[in-house]
Amino acid sequence: VNRTGQWASARCGGLARRASTAALAAVSAVLASGCGSTATPSTAPVPAATTPALSLSTSLQTGTAAWAVLEMGGSAADFDNFWQVLTRPADGTQWKLVTPAGTADNGGLVLASGGQSLITAFRPSQDLTFTPLSATSDDGQQWLSTGPLDASLASTPDALAEGQHGQLVALLGNGDVTQATPGYTSWHALTSLRALRATAAGRRCGLVRLTAVTFTSAGVPLAGGDCRQAGTTGLFTDSNGNWTAGGLALPASLAGQHVSVLRLQQTGTSTGVLLEAGSGRTASVLAGWLPESGTWDVSPPLRLAGASVAAASFAAAGTACVILGARRGEIVAASAAGWQPLPALPPGTATIAGARAGALDALAVRRGTLTIWQLAARSARWIARQTIKVPIQYGSSG
Amino acid sequence: VPGMSTGLSISNGTVVAAFKDALVHQGLLALLIFTLLAAAWLAIRPRLAQAGRTASGRGAVGRNAIPEPAWRRLLRIGFGVIWVFDGILQAQPKMALGLPSQVIEPAAASSPAWVQHVVNWAGTGWSSHPVQAGAAAVWIQAGIGLWLLAGARGPLSRLAGLASVSWGLVVWVFGEAFGGMFSPGQAWSSGAPGGALFYVAAGALIALPDRAWRTRRSGRLMTTGLGLFLAAMAVLQAWPGRGFWQGTVNRQPGSLTAMIQSMASTPQPRFLAVLVSHFGSVTAAHGFAVNLLIVVALALTGAAFLSGRAGLIRPVMLPFIVLCVADWVLIQDLGFFGGLGTDPNSMLPMALLAAAGYLAVALEPAPAVDPGVAPAASHPARPGLAGLRELLEGSGFQSLAAVGAISVIVLGAAPLAAAQANPVADTILAQALDGTGTSVSYPAPAFSLVDQAGRAVTLATLRGKVVLLTFLDPVCTNDCPVIAQEFRGVGQQLGAADSRVELVAIVANPIDYQVGYTRAFDRQERLASVPNWLFLTGTVPQLQQAWKKYGVAAEVAPAGSMILHSDVAYVIDSSGRVRDELNMDPGPGTTATVSSFAAELTADARKLLGQS
Repeated sequence: VNRTGQWASARCGGLARRASTAALAAVSAVLASGCGSTATPSTAPVPAATTPALSLSTSLQTGTAAWAVLEMGGSAADFDNFWQVLTRPADGTQWKLVTPAGTADNGGLVLASGGQSLITAFRPSQDLTFTPLSATSDDGQQWLSTGPLDASLASTPDALAEGQHGQLVALLGNGDVTQATPGYTSWHALTSLRALRATAAGRRCGLVRLTAVTFTSAGVPLAGGDCRQAGTTGLFTDSNGNWTAGGLALPASLAGQHVSVLRLQQTGTSTGVLLEAGSGRTASVLAGWLPESGTWDVSPPLRLAGASVAAASFAAAGTACVILGARRGEIVAASAAGWQPLPALPPGTATIAGARAGALDALAVRRGTLTIWQLAARSARWIARQTIKVPIQYGSSG
Repeated sequence: VPGMSTGLSISNGTVVAAFKDALVHQGLLALLIFTLLAAAWLAIRPRLAQAGRTASGRGAVGRNAIPEPAWRRLLRIGFGVIWVFDGILQAQPKMALGLPSQVIEPAAASSPAWVQHVVNWAGTGWSSHPVQAGAAAVWIQAGIGLWLLAGARGPLSRLAGLASVSWGLVVWVFGEAFGGMFSPGQAWSSGAPGGALFYVAAGALIALPDRAWRTRRSGRLMTTGLGLFLAAMAVLQAWPGRGFWQGTVNRQPGSLTAMIQSMASTPQPRFLAVLVSHFGSVTAAHGFAVNLLIVVALALTGAAFLSGRAGLIRPVMLPFIVLCVADWVLIQDLGFFGGLGTDPNSMLPMALLAAAGYLAVALEPAPAVDPGVAPAASHPARPGLAGLRELLEGSGFQSLAAVGAISVIVLGAAPLAAAQANPVADTILAQALDGTGTSVSYPAPAFSLVDQAGRAVTLATLRGKVVLLTFLDPVCTNDCPVIAQEFRGVGQQLGAADSRVELVAIVANPIDYQVGYTRAFDRQERLASVPNWLFLTGTVPQLQQAWKKYGVAAEVAPAGSMILHSDVAYVIDSSGRVRDELNMDPGPGTTATVSSFAAELTADARKLLGQS
């Protein structure tokens, strides 16, 4: 009996050990397999103020011409889409393709003008890491390669600005701001995101990132960005190396909103700014103008009602034009009482430019075809005025 | 997983032809080795027979007197055949270029970054030396298989088991990305934990010392291990939320259905495709029942093995082997059809291990040999078939056959080891992309330009050095940066000889040609500190003259496109004569191809340095 009992006990103990090891193996297998679970998206808070992705497509006005820059090709692959520069004489009606040659522009183009000439910066793409520059002083008939800027330009439409004396200021992808004198072969640091954050104005703003640079009409460098602190505007001016707040006071209704600088551009005799306040369905956009001497004049806010600003530009006399979603456009002039909705934009509208006699041109892209639609002053209908077939070199950059 | 691709088509004619050549040459060498061993055997056989008679006459007990247990024989022969079969699969023409991108990369794709990093190291080595690596895999696997088949007893036989363990681990880690253990969605039915891990387990059992054969301990260890494994696999297969219980999920195929459908869509004999496709439909409609069957079978078989009792294992063995074969055919689609199959997947090795486990507990271990009892005496060799049988059964012949198999492994492993130790890729990749260079001999056209520092440079000032010359666009976004890295690689590969070679590029852009651009390009490509690198430019007429003399086109394209220019290189000797013209279209610009082009240029430069 004793022997049998011992045997039975040992056997039961063996089975128990096997059961426990099996359970251990099962648990190990489940742990090793990850149980097919998928990673949970991070719930880390996003910065309070973030600038939505604003297209590089835009237009600008110089003394003698209107300019537009937009992307064409319609390919899902970036390297098969090419950015184009178009121009139209200030007093003319016909647009012309004047894209500077010599450099692949798949990374996007950024325009800058101090009034007379126009500089085009080629944002790097693929294996290129620096920024070639090209300049024209005869409305795009001839381009002269200049620079380069030996760094990657930031991907915003106001990453480059030209002063009245030909000096350039550039916002880099890493948040540094550099400047160069004509010739643009020698660049030196002007400021940086880190330096601006350390200033009194930067601390008050809680500067998150820089989004735009320009020169004021008085020739003073001006930088804009996103603020973490509600009710403050991220505008900074350079006063002999001392950066101070840009001095734009928000309407009281926006005091509790986070503000982002979307655009910052010279608009003839004034400096234009486009701001976005708030986020989500309560977001609104407003424009501001700084005359050569004086203080900021700010438009009423435009409620976006869930839309986002896809592209924006300043037309003649500083009229701000925004494209909201696919077909919605709004404009506001410096002297106007408020924003004015445009008739439904033509499909594919990439940017809006000012035209003669208060008219507006909408430049609409469909793959390699550009159609220019015009909205006459006080008209309610866009009319197709011109079509340009652009010879897209598919496959040449892949 | 950046190192996995050469960017070449896996059926690239140049590499496939080189792979076939390597296999034929090494195959002939293997044949020669076996012929020499056979001759040696015939020469020493009478002496061995005499020695055997003398030993048996003295009543000595042979070391190999214990018969090999059935479970070990099953594992040895079974896995030997599978290794040989795997070796044959490795000889597929597309394997040399295809294995990293078509086999390893997909296996690692859903694994964590650290697994991809480990796998990428090996993939980069294979991609850089595809011919040696491809041929090595053939001979190593065939050699291990032959070794296992040949060596029934003794230390050489145990070493064959260790060889299976070693190479099995290599395949499991680098070829199967740890059998996909660290990626989600793995299950026993789809091949977890990787077929190669079974090769490792079998090799370890074969490598056990003779004394392990004499007790039931080995059998109990095997059954316990198998039981634990199957129990774990049952839990894994049954775990909810992994898509195995549903034939379809939101009108999308469940995990099992998706695998079957993907296997059914691979190239294979029609009857098999129909069979697998039909089973895919059954699984889609009855996913729960199919998975339940697998889970129950795994759980019952696991429990039976955990009991360690032959009486409990026997009833589940046949159903389990039927399940393995059914899974192999209907879910794993035999494992090697479609794409580049490298092995029959996990079910056959699984079934072999299970059967061996059963045999280990079902059959009595070999009795311990009484030292006083002599084994059956050897007889002198007899002529005819009987004599041949004796010859084949003799342990001496087995040892020689094992030596032959080891030689086959060395035949593959030695070139692979040499190649793997060399970080420089084979020139065959460059030749596969652009063909071989054209040997010429004519005076290099003169040029007069300035370097990136603004100093004047002419061809005459470079006399006395070997010049590697190309044409680059400083704002080019793809080819030129890659070619620049190829030239940089030449400098690194040349070592001390680098000082006798000048790496020269002439600007191939009539718009962005200024020194500012060549300097920016140099900084971008980390060439600014390369002492013998010259990026030359000049006025547009000077550049155009150079382009014309060297037959280089630099065409301005409209609408935002980059300059279209020729990708060429000229190898100029120290006396100023062009000796080679190379097409330098860099293709995909992978790590392997960049290194390969650099190796091609380096070889050309070395050849000229040797002549000067």
